[in-house]
Amino acid sequence: MRRIEFYFRETAAGIRRNGIMAFAAMSTAFIALFLFGLALIIAREINLVIEAVTGNVQVAVYLSDPVRPETVTRLQTELQQLPAVASVEYENKDEACARAKKLFESNPAITENVPCEVYPASFRVTLADTSQYGQITARLACEPDPTTHDITCSEPGVLKVLDFRDILDRLSAITRVLRNGVLFIAVIMLVSATVLVANTLRMGMFARRKEIGIMRLVGATNWRIRVPFLIEGLVEALVGAALAIITLFLVKVFVVDQLRGRIVWLPLIRNGDVLAITPWILIAAAGVAIVAGTIGIRRFLDV
Amino acid sequence: MISLQNVTKTYKNGVTALESVSIEIEKGEFVFVVGPSGSGKSTTLRLLLREEEPSAGEVFVAGKNVVRLSSLGGIPKLRRNIGCVFQDFKLLQDKTVFENVSFALEVIGKPKHVIDARVPEILDYVGLGEKLNNYPDELSGGEQQRVSIARACVNRPLVLLADEPTGNLDPNTSVDIMRLLDKVNKIGTTVVMATHDQAIVDAMRKRVIELDRGKVVRDQSRGVYS
Repeated sequence: MRRIEFYFRETAAGIRRNGIMAFAAMSTAFIALFLFGLALIIAREINLVIEAVTGNVQVAVYLSDPVRPETVTRLQTELQQLPAVASVEYENKDEACARAKKLFESNPAITENVPCEVYPASFRVTLADTSQYGQITARLACEPDPTTHDITCSEPGVLKVLDFRDILDRLSAITRVLRNGVLFIAVIMLVSATVLVANTLRMGMFARRKEIGIMRLVGATNWRIRVPFLIEGLVEALVGAALAIITLFLVKVFVVDQLRGRIVWLPLIRNGDVLAITPWILIAAAGVAIVAGTIGIRRFLDV
Repeated sequence: MISLQNVTKTYKNGVTALESVSIEIEKGEFVFVVGPSGSGKSTTLRLLLREEEPSAGEVFVAGKNVVRLSSLGGIPKLRRNIGCVFQDFKLLQDKTVFENVSFALEVIGKPKHVIDARVPEILDYVGLGEKLNNYPDELSGGEQQRVSIARACVNRPLVLLADEPTGNLDPNTSVDIMRLLDKVNKIGTTVVMATHDQAIVDAMRKRVIELDRGKVVRDQSRGVYS
């Protein structure tokens, strides 16, 4: 108990004494962790869009009404046997309706006015080899309609085929560019945050070199000397993390929530999504503290 | 208590501070280490504290080979058995007399009731029982050195190392400090004092080890400075 009290008193004294440097370290950690969180949120948002637009499948084969169970079984087996196909999932009309309701939940005009019968049943196909997409259209005898660009098929029971490969490719490219761009900046900022925290610790140790000298002289262990500085680094990183998390929630409330409902088809992140990335921010903050601690206190410690 | 066996210390820059020095000091002795600047006095003290490692030879303090001690536990433990006093007192200016002394116990993890019992006791012993709450800059040089001696002794060390403890003090105050060190020695603490102060060495008539250019040139009981 007494030891813990000692550590925290020393830590508080260290941060006070080192005010401006500690502030610089904390604000850099804050910006770095905020950008890091932003990158994760952008990736999450685009994943939501991808899921909404494509249902996470690459090719959808829509079935014409009325759907017959034997047609479903036969087509599913046949599609499954194609070498290019990894998996085929059947979605019946009720499931299609439920998914549409969820997708448009922020737009009651659609969900209330469109009856469930309108949504077609479909096979949702994931390809093992996306370039071999032709195997599906060939098997189902489909051809693009020159006027509507829909791909209609002469196989009985099949309405049409929708190819999401292109849009999936584009969306993942956007995700990659946006997320990696922000992550790149975040990594640079995380490195500067680490260096700044390390430098704060080092300046703190320099300012207290006399005390440290006496501590060593009277037989304090290395850890007894180090721990207050390690806690100081951890506190600075965690304050930055807390500010970053708060700011991300503010972004969600004041930016994302303002857009909600304006664009009908666009699903938006919710509080749960922001909450889900907070552990990663805390882990990044702990990483900053650990690395900064290791490089910051290396000097002054040779007994 | 202290044993240096054929100790040689050569620093990285090539300077040889000690050359094949052998010294034996028994428990409870009071020893002056004298000699001109650069003769190896400070190096000897630093070796005993394990602030330096000998280039050759062995150093034993309280039965332990200090070269073999680990920085994780062994060296701190060694230093808890050695009190140190310096010419410049090394007091923390932002702490009171009490806090300066209690700091030494606090950082080695002594519980509060031990600190509250021992600190006033040792400050009373060095004659500063009335000045617990003063800051170092409110004290005279002699009083500051008393605080530093209190800090060195509060953990009841086996050995007290003093490096020019009277170097910054006037002759009268120096005599007072020597009386105090003698008092500490009388309760069983082994005292090793490096000094230039001829008058004090001559007055005390204790064992004198004289170093010159890294070698022991004289080891005399009840000796004088030169």
